[in-house]
Amino acid sequence: MTQVLAIMVLPLFLLAGIVAAAVLDRAVPPLVAGRSLKASFVGPITVASSRAMGQTGATEHPDTISWILAPILYFTLAAIGLSVVPFAPGVVAADLDAGIVLWGACESLTVVAVFLHGWSANSPLPLIGAYRYVAIGLPAMLLSMFVLIAAALPAQSLAVTDIVEAQRSVWNIVRQPAGFVLFLMLGLSLSLRGPFDFADPYDLAGGTTAEISGAARLTWWLARLAMLVSVSAMTATVFLGGYLGPVLPGFVWLVVKTGLVLVVLVGAGEVFARLPPDRMMNLIWLALLPLSFLMLVAVGVELLLWG
Amino acid sequence: MGLIDLTFLVLSAIAIVSGWRVFATDSMVRASFLLLLSFTAVGLIILMLAAPYIGIATIFMMAVEMMVMALFMVMFMMNPAGLNPMMMVHQNRFAIGAGIVAFLGLSAAVLTTDFPTDPVDPGRQVIRDLGLEMLGPSMLIFETAGVTLLAAMVGAVVLSARTGRFGPSDEGSRPPGLEVGGEPAGRRVEKASGHGHHHMHDSHVGDEDAQHAEGNPEADGHNADGGESGRRPSLRSDWSAGNRSMTSKTEATS
Amino acid sequence: MAIAILRRLAGAAPAPAFPAIGAGMRAAADDLFLDGRLIRADSIRHARILLVAGPVREADQDDIRRLHDQMLHPRATLWWKSNPVPDFAEPATCDEDDPVAAIEAIHRALIEGARDSEPDILPNEPPNPWRGKGDYGQGGEGMMGGTPYGRPMAMTDDDLRDGLALDAYTAPFGPFLPMLPPGLKLSVTLQGDVIQTAKLLRPPSAQAEAYDGTVTALRALGRFLPILGLEAHAVRCLEAARSLSAGKPIELAKIRQFLFWSGALAAIPSGIGMVEDTDVRMRVERWLAALDESPTGGLDGSATMSPLKPARLVDLLRGREWSEAILIVNSFDTDTLISLAPVEAEDAETEGRAREDGIRMDHEGHGTHAHGATGT
Repeated sequence: MTQVLAIMVLPLFLLAGIVAAAVLDRAVPPLVAGRSLKASFVGPITVASSRAMGQTGATEHPDTISWILAPILYFTLAAIGLSVVPFAPGVVAADLDAGIVLWGACESLTVVAVFLHGWSANSPLPLIGAYRYVAIGLPAMLLSMFVLIAAALPAQSLAVTDIVEAQRSVWNIVRQPAGFVLFLMLGLSLSLRGPFDFADPYDLAGGTTAEISGAARLTWWLARLAMLVSVSAMTATVFLGGYLGPVLPGFVWLVVKTGLVLVVLVGAGEVFARLPPDRMMNLIWLALLPLSFLMLVAVGVELLLWG
Repeated sequence: MGLIDLTFLVLSAIAIVSGWRVFATDSMVRASFLLLLSFTAVGLIILMLAAPYIGIATIFMMAVEMMVMALFMVMFMMNPAGLNPMMMVHQNRFAIGAGIVAFLGLSAAVLTTDFPTDPVDPGRQVIRDLGLEMLGPSMLIFETAGVTLLAAMVGAVVLSARTGRFGPSDEGSRPPGLEVGGEPAGRRVEKASGHGHHHMHDSHVGDEDAQHAEGNPEADGHNADGGESGRRPSLRSDWSAGNRSMTSKTEATS
Repeated sequence: MAIAILRRLAGAAPAPAFPAIGAGMRAAADDLFLDGRLIRADSIRHARILLVAGPVREADQDDIRRLHDQMLHPRATLWWKSNPVPDFAEPATCDEDDPVAAIEAIHRALIEGARDSEPDILPNEPPNPWRGKGDYGQGGEGMMGGTPYGRPMAMTDDDLRDGLALDAYTAPFGPFLPMLPPGLKLSVTLQGDVIQTAKLLRPPSAQAEAYDGTVTALRALGRFLPILGLEAHAVRCLEAARSLSAGKPIELAKIRQFLFWSGALAAIPSGIGMVEDTDVRMRVERWLAALDESPTGGLDGSATMSPLKPARLVDLLRGREWSEAILIVNSFDTDTLISLAPVEAEDAETEGRAREDGIRMDHEGHGTHAHGATGT
């Protein structure tokens, strides 16, 4: 019964999140640019309808099936990833024992979806965006798995519900603050944003989106926002105690925390500079990955000694 | 036929059809993602067999693996659309024969075996059991495999890194001699005269061949089949007469 | 009904326009897109309006036609202080300083269907005819040759950096790509995203931007920062440059502070684009230093403006990754870039002609974006 409830809540949650993310996306850049703030719900809707009209674009012999399916796959992965997030005690769409492994599978398939999107256009700039993203996306995903394992250790379970319950005493953000930051970076990478937008950047004229327009671009845009919402909810659940919190009902807490992470991610996407791929790759492999090992060891030692 | 049977049949069909398409497509990237699709269907079947960790981990691992594979293919073949249609299989007849025999054998095994009906208790913590098994009785196998793989990975990185074991790899590094002051060990790069014919229009024949030979003397062979190698010079870049190639030229004649 | 609502909403959206910038119009175009009623399209595919700003060089005319045809329907072209290229039927022109109203009017008319979408100018032909050729109609020849599915068969080539010979890929880029200075057209041979060789096909168009310390630095930053993913910061810089030119006082310390926290300087690799002992990072530092100076006096202009004869842009780009190369190109002002990009009438190199043909075979039809040549 509660599972049915969760399955009904999930699309609404995703939809509300997408709207919120779209509004933030229009509100935050002017804020950073020091212009007058004009947050509106109408703005994103007009842009969306403008994109919905018009052709989708074509190139010489693209891989049509992958080109159409990649945005849909991306969106679906966002939804599947969100399905392991408990909205309230016991209310979860997919209460899997291996919840974070499913999330990990969504992460790795996201890399596949973005790659296919750029590759299938049969055009150089999208292709460069595609494999550049793979080069950064795979190690970013790798370190997120160490972070997630460190989050699963105290819960002694791979189920997301257990990870939330294990945070009743202390939130994981306290246990591994660096892990939280690393996971936020993964969020930027999964939603192709700011410092981690190696797939659709300006220097590639829109990268994997350089050849598309109309409905195809609209779907891609929605999928990116959906993934942003999904990863925000996951961050809130794994590091900020999810639905845990005093006074207010659990679902409200989750929404508040997800919104907070959403704001942080959108802000970080605008505020921080993107490293050229080569430097980013060195940073990830030589600094961030060892850091995630250290976090894992630290949590392990802590649990051995005081757990 | 219940919903579970139907799901099983659909997933099996996806696994088989996409597995077959792997050998029928003319693009290596498509082939690797079709293989991923096939493995995903198998992973979901494993999930249905109440082995959630192994099922999802299969999908997870295969996604990463196929992605890396496809990436390397694009690296080697920048042509995004695909290649000239070609046979993706070797030893056709033997492969078909072996495939049929294997299929018949496995089918016979499946049909004649009396499988036990032993549904897993839903309350049973299968992942915990799996973990205890892997880090308990099977610890030695598990760790041996893990350490071996790690060593292989480190070795692959060391060998492929530019800062090779015996100096920069692109300057034709060779290991020191077996005796003090002796001839450097390692394979000597032969000047492969046999490949010269497909670079006829090319003034830098020698150095390029030396490089090919350095990697794998036989690997060059398939280029010659095309008969279209006259195009190569037009795609070659100017700098090949520059310093670096000269190094390998000296290397080749030393 | 639903379509009518969609149209009304779409009509209220900012007009997506792609600027094809000619001589002397770069700053004006940058300022134009600070207006909230417009969206600067990163790719011609995202645009509904092609805004041709300033005079079009003779050599660029074909690129404009191709660019136009790559735009998706419904589409329109506005010639802003420009000379319409022949073959454009009933060109809409605008000679006012502020064409936003004209762009909006065209955009609305397009959405509402009051204005017909412009037809193709060039015949829709693939750059490399392939259909029906070869054993499978794929355009290939044998196993490794031809242009399978319209793309030339990539062939392994030596590599500058690590000696791992992968497939090289040659294509022209420019002259209206948004991340390159307007007018610059390069033929680039890529392996992965490492530039093996770059060849200058056309130099950037002259911009005649008077050197003005802080304003010049702010404009340069405004063009540079989007490459680092700092679009909002770039807007801040461009807006400051516009206010400063109009004589309004602005708070420069804040811009510096924001840029410091963004990590922009740390993100730039050191040692790239070395010309006269300054690399890209030092040139950006110079712009930042110029923000400290008084708006009018400022940093000694001659230091950045002196003609740099010995260096050539194409040499600076060789062996660089794509995004590093874009950083290098954008770290020079237009005049310096023109002096770094001498036009060579006849390529002295022996294989020059043959290679040029090889390139033509590649991507002639793709023009600006090396696009899939839908419209060409």
